[in-house]
Amino acid sequence: MYGWIWRHLPGNAWVKALISLVLVLAVVFVLFQYVFPWAEPLLPFNDVTVNEGMAALR
Amino acid sequence: MTATGHDEDTDPSEPSPKPRRGWRIVASVVSVIGELLITAGLILGLFVVYSLWWTNVLADREANKQSDAVREHWAKARHHGGPKGPGELDTRDGIGFLHVPAMDNGEVLVKKGTDADILNEGVAGYYTKPVKSELPEDKKGNFTLAAHRDGHGAKFHNIDKLKDGDPIVFETRDTWYIYKVYAVLSQTSKYNVDVLDDIPKESGKRKAGRYITLTTCTPVYTSNYRYIVWGELERTEKVDADRTPPEELR
Repeated sequence: MYGWIWRHLPGNAWVKALISLVLVLAVVFVLFQYVFPWAEPLLPFNDVTVNEGMAALR
Repeated sequence: MTATGHDEDTDPSEPSPKPRRGWRIVASVVSVIGELLITAGLILGLFVVYSLWWTNVLADREANKQSDAVREHWAKARHHGGPKGPGELDTRDGIGFLHVPAMDNGEVLVKKGTDADILNEGVAGYYTKPVKSELPEDKKGNFTLAAHRDGHGAKFHNIDKLKDGDPIVFETRDTWYIYKVYAVLSQTSKYNVDVLDDIPKESGKRKAGRYITLTTCTPVYTSNYRYIVWGELERTEKVDADRTPPEELR
């Protein structure tokens, strides 16, 4: 998969490395900005309040 | 090369009649799966970085901004017409600051509500549901707060450092409220809403009084249970012109 991407990037090795870096940073940005904030409330790691849980929804 | 010689070696699920080509497909499928697994590992690692570091950066930035706004607000109110009476309270920006020397985390802005979007601003929230919190200036009742243990400012990270007798100071525009810790519940169910009662019986109290309750999740990095600290109001002090803190904070 990554080999395929590497082969399809234009330019010589340096240009490819630079483009790869930019791509990685873009992926990290999208993750931090959009994906993780969306996923976090769905995961049971950071609920701090006491509540009635499912009983409150019934 | 005869096909028969390689028949046992090829994956039976591979329908390809040419073993060489079949192997290449299997190899590339396996390598893509491997790369996907490595990618998943990296993403999970990044999620940890996000949760424990980046959310703190964002939350602290936001909390500082809002704290400055509240302080500015108070200073302005003092210059224009002075104190407007004890009932004056602005619940929109935040009602005051929590100082807990034992937690060693400076001042924590306290705002109304305990929804995620409020607590994620790096503040502590006072409960509006399931049990409505009383406010410190109320004659009787329980001032109940929640904040994050990890990430998003992690304002109650060191809640386990609190011991009986430690001061919890709440600062409003006009008054310092000095509470003393008298009970700790180091692990309870997340559905235990009784800890928020006006008279928190689990803390050993039977009579109405002016209590404070801090809640957060435990153990650290997870939220299987809740950690509860109860304090009782010891005294109040008027805020003077220089906002001299009470002796507990000096």
